[in-house]
Amino acid sequence: MLDHSITELRDAIGRDLPSIASPDDLERFRITYLSRSGRIAALYDTLKSVPKEEKPRYGQLINALKQETEQRFEERKQEIESRATAARDAVDITMPGRMRDKGTRHPITRTMDEMKSIFTSMGFGIVYGPEVEDDYHNFEALNFAPHHPARDMQDTFFVKDDLVLRTHTTPVQVRVMKDRPLPLRVIMPGRVYRNEAVSARSNYFFHQVDGLYVDKHVTFADLKGTLVTFAKNFYGSSIQYRFRPSYFPFTEPSLEMDITCFLCAGKGCRICKHSGWLEVLGAGMVHPNVLRNCGHDPESVSGYAFGMGVDRISLLRYGVDDIRIFFENDIRFLNQF
Amino acid sequence: MRISFKWLQQYVELNASIEDVAATLTRLGLEVESIELQGKGLEGFRVAEVLEVKKHPNADRLKVCSVLPAAGQEPLQIVCGAPNVAAGQKVILGVAGTTVPHNQHDPEGKPFVLNNATIRGVESKGMLCSGKELGISDDGSGIMVLDPSAVPGTLLTQHLGLDDCSLEIGITPNRPDCLSHIGIARDLAAAYGVALKMPNGTLNEDATRPVTAVTSVEVLNAADCPRYTARVITNVTVKESPEWMKQALTAAGLRPINNVVDVTNYVMLEYGQPLHAFDMDRLEGKRIVVRSAAAGEVFETLDGKKHTLSGTELMICDAARAVAIGGVMGGANSEISPSTTNVLLESAYFLPTSVRKTAKRLGISTDASYRFERGIDPNMTQHASDRAAQLLAELTGGTVAAGIIDVYPSPIQPRTLTVRVNRVNAMLGTELSADVVRRLLTSIGIAIKEEATSGTFTCSIPTFRPDIEQEIDLIEEVARLHGYDNIENKSSGEVVFTAPDLREQRVTELRRWLESNGVSEIITNSLIDRNSAALFSRDLVSVRNPLSAELEVLRPSMLATMLQTVAHNFNHSAERVHLYEIGTVFAAAGGTGFQHYVPGVGERSVLGICLSGDAHSLTWHEKQRKVDIFDIKGLVTSLLTGIGLDNSNLIYYNAPSSLTEMTIGIEINGSYVGFIGRCRPDILKRYKIDQDVFYAELDMNSVISEGRNKRYREYSRFPKVVRDVAFIVNSGVSVASIEQQIRTSGAPAVTSVTLFDVFEGKSVGEGKKSIAFSLTLNATEKTLTDAEIDAVLSSVITSVTDTFGATLRSL
Repeated sequence: MLDHSITELRDAIGRDLPSIASPDDLERFRITYLSRSGRIAALYDTLKSVPKEEKPRYGQLINALKQETEQRFEERKQEIESRATAARDAVDITMPGRMRDKGTRHPITRTMDEMKSIFTSMGFGIVYGPEVEDDYHNFEALNFAPHHPARDMQDTFFVKDDLVLRTHTTPVQVRVMKDRPLPLRVIMPGRVYRNEAVSARSNYFFHQVDGLYVDKHVTFADLKGTLVTFAKNFYGSSIQYRFRPSYFPFTEPSLEMDITCFLCAGKGCRICKHSGWLEVLGAGMVHPNVLRNCGHDPESVSGYAFGMGVDRISLLRYGVDDIRIFFENDIRFLNQF
Repeated sequence: MRISFKWLQQYVELNASIEDVAATLTRLGLEVESIELQGKGLEGFRVAEVLEVKKHPNADRLKVCSVLPAAGQEPLQIVCGAPNVAAGQKVILGVAGTTVPHNQHDPEGKPFVLNNATIRGVESKGMLCSGKELGISDDGSGIMVLDPSAVPGTLLTQHLGLDDCSLEIGITPNRPDCLSHIGIARDLAAAYGVALKMPNGTLNEDATRPVTAVTSVEVLNAADCPRYTARVITNVTVKESPEWMKQALTAAGLRPINNVVDVTNYVMLEYGQPLHAFDMDRLEGKRIVVRSAAAGEVFETLDGKKHTLSGTELMICDAARAVAIGGVMGGANSEISPSTTNVLLESAYFLPTSVRKTAKRLGISTDASYRFERGIDPNMTQHASDRAAQLLAELTGGTVAAGIIDVYPSPIQPRTLTVRVNRVNAMLGTELSADVVRRLLTSIGIAIKEEATSGTFTCSIPTFRPDIEQEIDLIEEVARLHGYDNIENKSSGEVVFTAPDLREQRVTELRRWLESNGVSEIITNSLIDRNSAALFSRDLVSVRNPLSAELEVLRPSMLATMLQTVAHNFNHSAERVHLYEIGTVFAAAGGTGFQHYVPGVGERSVLGICLSGDAHSLTWHEKQRKVDIFDIKGLVTSLLTGIGLDNSNLIYYNAPSSLTEMTIGIEINGSYVGFIGRCRPDILKRYKIDQDVFYAELDMNSVISEGRNKRYREYSRFPKVVRDVAFIVNSGVSVASIEQQIRTSGAPAVTSVTLFDVFEGKSVGEGKKSIAFSLTLNATEKTLTDAEIDAVLSSVITSVTDTFGATLRSL
């Protein structure tokens, strides 16, 4: 009799479980079979009327049915719940995310930032100076004789007889040497101007980073070491470089540094004028006349100075073929950085 | 400076390749910019002889030639289309495998490689070439016919003397001595450790005719003309120079003219001494007077141009009139012509500054002025004159009058300098011995006069090195000759600490913040036209010599150049233009914030931000809209708080501005730092921008120097209560004033007040608006009770309704 009831109940459970489709169905099933007043609980009640020696066997049978039902109910429940989650997540995740508009940094600033970062990590501070300079700071204090041919190199914008748009960032050297105590170890970034017609390769304003180190016992060997460290960090440790004697009125001895053209790896191309070399900076030991003009005794202190252009290097680094693109500031250009 | 490699080797024996010599020159500071091999592209072509010419059996215009490629070789059969080909001619032959530089039948003239061919059924084993095909002349009408003396089998380059190469050397302004072959040879001789060979030749003078008997020189301006020498060469025959001379000049970049002029140019390129040859028979009184020009004097130079003189120019004159501008250019009235028979040869030293001023004022730059300006050797004048006289005698058949007239009242002496060996090493970071220093300096002609035991040399500096003025210049010579490569690259062992630059860090923070918030950096020019500038300010700084009227005035406002970029982008269909720039603005007088580094010009570093067009790019989740004043206000407010400037320090007020409408001034801790607003329509119209542009300008110095020390403020650990209140007020009442009233009357329990709705409409009544705030109430020491909260709210409500005549709106 009880055997029959157990079999019948198992069959009923077997029929009902698969038809469960919703959380409501689940609850209904639980109440019908598994609740305290449910049909499995009712079976335990009928156990009372079973002969004593049969009780353990029936007890085990009902326990087994209960366990089996609970397990299958749990499985079904999870199935239903995960189906509900799936329904909730049924969005097209290939749609774009809620993007924010990005802003970019100008490539010239990027180049400048990298230069600043290398020099600051080498112990250089950063100083700025005015873009309109007087003749004294731009030329005279820097040892440019009044009619020296070197002034041929500098075609200059004049604001007044003795005021110019600075032709280099070097006059800031004079200002810091006069204003600040030694030792002095600074770079001087900024905008400079030359009275030159605008073309793909040249502009009437551009950007430079000058550097200066004045202290006791600063040598040409220190200068070379600093420049090599900079170049290897900035252009890559594998570059080849060369130093050439050169001439600037404000340094002596003077040099120019070339690196292997990174576009043709030194084989020679249009950019390096088929020489395989790119001139990247000028430098030298601060001329004794300049030290003297700035109130220092060249017998007791010495210094080195260097200067490099930012725009031309940026052209090469980013593969831009016309310098005017930098200052057109087209959003389609800016967005590439 | 263009140098002939062949010519150079007359003065220095170089057992080195051209590449090695070029690299050595560059290491010496004489940068070789390019090497040009003569006869490039002519490899493989040889002289040949046409033995026989027959008609082509199948073509009227073609001929079949028998050509001897070299003595003793089998003649070659060659089909030729040139109308001028004839038996007995010496011609240029290219055989299979040779590249013809210029294809006359190709529209672009591309080179092609010769093959054995069959032309209209007749075999052809090569090609006879025209000058055009070889790129050595413009004549493509027929084959090039060589001199009858040409030897078949000779390489064409050899026959034409094109076996030289030219070096283009960049000479820095401090090395006038290297504007000559001997000057460059001197440095090379030092570098290779070989001797410098000066030209040798014997000058034969006609002892019967002393120069003083035929001419005289009077120098009236010795300051500008410290030395003037003259020689006379008579009975010259002006004609073409011999091949060696023409080839040397050509390789050095000069065009041969005639034997007299060529000699002066040759000696200039040899010694660096510019010379001038006058037709002596065209000199009035057959003599020279050196004087300053008269103001207003008109002079015609030999290029046919007339110059009105200012009076400062140094003029070379004859007894009656000017015949040359000293050191710059000769005159048409006395130049060498084919009929010249007697020559007065000038070799002089003119003052560099004088020549420079004159050349600049007259806008003339010649090979002579270029050298005089930089400073030639005043003591080479006679050597160069002797050399030129010798060559003139050889090349023109003329006779050199005995002696030289040399007006040199105050001879320029070699400079004496001392150099200390320990100073050399201290500057260079080297350990060079006194011997090495002595050897290096003497190798370039510096005489060590005296040697003290203390390692100090007294040096006599040759007058061809005017650039060596003090000890440091000698140290540079040592460094250069020792080799920059042989000086250590010293990486300093000393640790240098530099404090982090807080201002730099703040600028970086500011840039990052703007970029993260969708604003891109631009870099614009700083010069604009006067009319545009006038829109922004009357306090302008302008350039006297601008490139153009468009670039005359230094920008008085960042907006002035940023708007150019905004306009450019709208013209190129941009939709969202959100830009910033950090740069300098200029003013003559300038107000607050301007720094006056030089008198009469103020500079200020500012941050400009322009927002225009769409507020954001097109997306699926947000409706498109244009930017408005609250975008720029929100951006700037968030920016200032974002970089650590506490919002409570910002005070907004309606400020008048010549640039913007709806202008809001910004202060930090009571000082003005900038403003926000919408650009005035008349300004936008000038830039042809038809959209609103919202602009913010902040003074960089204030923004980055403002302190931002952070201190912890205790926050409540008890539950917060949020209550919303809405008021109906007259439209003219500002949100900020109500907000301030709530803060004041609700303090300290009300810890935050946030506007979340503003509404105007019929339901709130004509001329009224509804303003809704969300209030957060909190106490640091306990949980607020309902009664306490109600009490605070009621006092807030009373205060607002009383102050603004507001009514509470039920929510």
